[in-house]
Amino acid sequence: MDAVAVETAAILVPDLLGWVPLQTGGDWMFVWENRRFLLLGTAVTILLTLASVGLGFLLGLPAGAIEAYGDGRLQSVVSTVGVALRGTPIVVLIVLFFFGLPIPRQLGSIPVLDVRMSGFLAATLALGLRSAAYQSQVFRGTIQSVGEGQLKAARSLGLSKPAAIRHVVLPQALRRSVPGFQNEFTIVLKDTSVVFAIGLAELLRRGYQLFTQPGRQGAIIEVILAISLIYFVLTFTTNRLLDLLDHHYAIPGGES
Amino acid sequence: MTLLAFDGVTKHYGEELVLDAVSFELDRSEVEVIIGPSGSGKSTLLRCVNRLAEVDNGTIRFDGEPIGDTDADELRRQVGMVFQDFNLFAHRTALGNVTLGLRRVRGFSKEEARERARRELEQVGLGAQLDSYPAELSGGQKQRVGIARALAMDPELLLFDEPTSALDPELIGEVLAVMRELADDGMTMLCVTHELGFARSVADRLTFLEAGAIVERGDPERLFTDPRSDRTAEYLSRLTGEY
Repeated sequence: MDAVAVETAAILVPDLLGWVPLQTGGDWMFVWENRRFLLLGTAVTILLTLASVGLGFLLGLPAGAIEAYGDGRLQSVVSTVGVALRGTPIVVLIVLFFFGLPIPRQLGSIPVLDVRMSGFLAATLALGLRSAAYQSQVFRGTIQSVGEGQLKAARSLGLSKPAAIRHVVLPQALRRSVPGFQNEFTIVLKDTSVVFAIGLAELLRRGYQLFTQPGRQGAIIEVILAISLIYFVLTFTTNRLLDLLDHHYAIPGGES
Repeated sequence: MTLLAFDGVTKHYGEELVLDAVSFELDRSEVEVIIGPSGSGKSTLLRCVNRLAEVDNGTIRFDGEPIGDTDADELRRQVGMVFQDFNLFAHRTALGNVTLGLRRVRGFSKEEARERARRELEQVGLGAQLDSYPAELSGGQKQRVGIARALAMDPELLLFDEPTSALDPELIGEVLAVMRELADDGMTMLCVTHELGFARSVADRLTFLEAGAIVERGDPERLFTDPRSDRTAEYLSRLTGEY
């Protein structure tokens, strides 16, 4: 660093520190003291994300294949359900599933995490089904992007249509799906915060519980910043992992 | 001995008539070349043989059986196809392209399939490219993988749909050489191609197709030197550049 830069920094940094209330160590200590409480919320967020994205994949992939290849009734049922799910606000879905579905309330709680099983199931269903509706569009698009000649060549060897789709079309479509899937993964991760609405103790909810304690309102910025940082680390890590997956499975020489 | 027989085969795409009462017979171990202007129905004719397209009227018999009576997947196992734009499986190596059918259709074990695929690829001169992906191969190499992939199924009949049309001129020879070798080994082949040299020196029959109908069919040398139809004469002279 040259002298001018050091001088500029010396003027600016205290200013910035004054603007962002970072120097009041007490509130950051408060966040630190409650780290275990927040990390448990993080665990809930991760669990809920994995369960929802997983459910979304299991339903979204076949749904995408049906939209790409199916004909008639099944295809129109699948695409109508997709439109409905994509067209409904996620909070509405979660509240609807939580109060509308006959999920037994006496399932108890997930140990340690302090989360009601019934709420977790309702949230997973809502987030998972909505994610399936979005993932189906990712997969439909990439399935359709695999050239018709690939299917023709596989069929001309004597492979049945399902076998040709499974061994020739899907391996190529799934590779092309990683970027879209990456997006969807990040969106679900962040959207788990709306389970707030049914009182699930995930990351944001727990943060809220911290700064609404009597006398702790002053820590609101610190708590929210800490939570944002955790969300950032989670999305960043997920994206990097999926990048690695993408590179690992990339077809040498590109696609011809 | 007749292997393939067309009898009054008609095919429409919507309103358009693409095959107009096509009848011919192809014997085992014979090589037939079909020529004709683009849009004359040549590719459709090939696709009807392995039921990638279905005929509207008439009958196609393969080994005496109407192909409509056999299971399409079983028929396709016996009738190999080589495509103009190769259609190699982009996510699989040269070896993987050949093993797929062996594994999933013929039920070979992994080792048997690899061994057989290696032999097929060596046969077409690609012993050094077993682990290359399609994008890493030249056009001529890709097409030879395409031929090896079809051959591995032990087909009774091979269909070639303009196998050299997408190739740079200097790569055409290596593909034609493989095809010539197959013909010498007694493979029955039905080829749509514009390679007149190949037609003249390798084919047993030459068919000129126009507007979905066979204009003339016979010994290639005779069609070149003494065509009965003016249209045949005109088309051939245009292809050979003898105006």
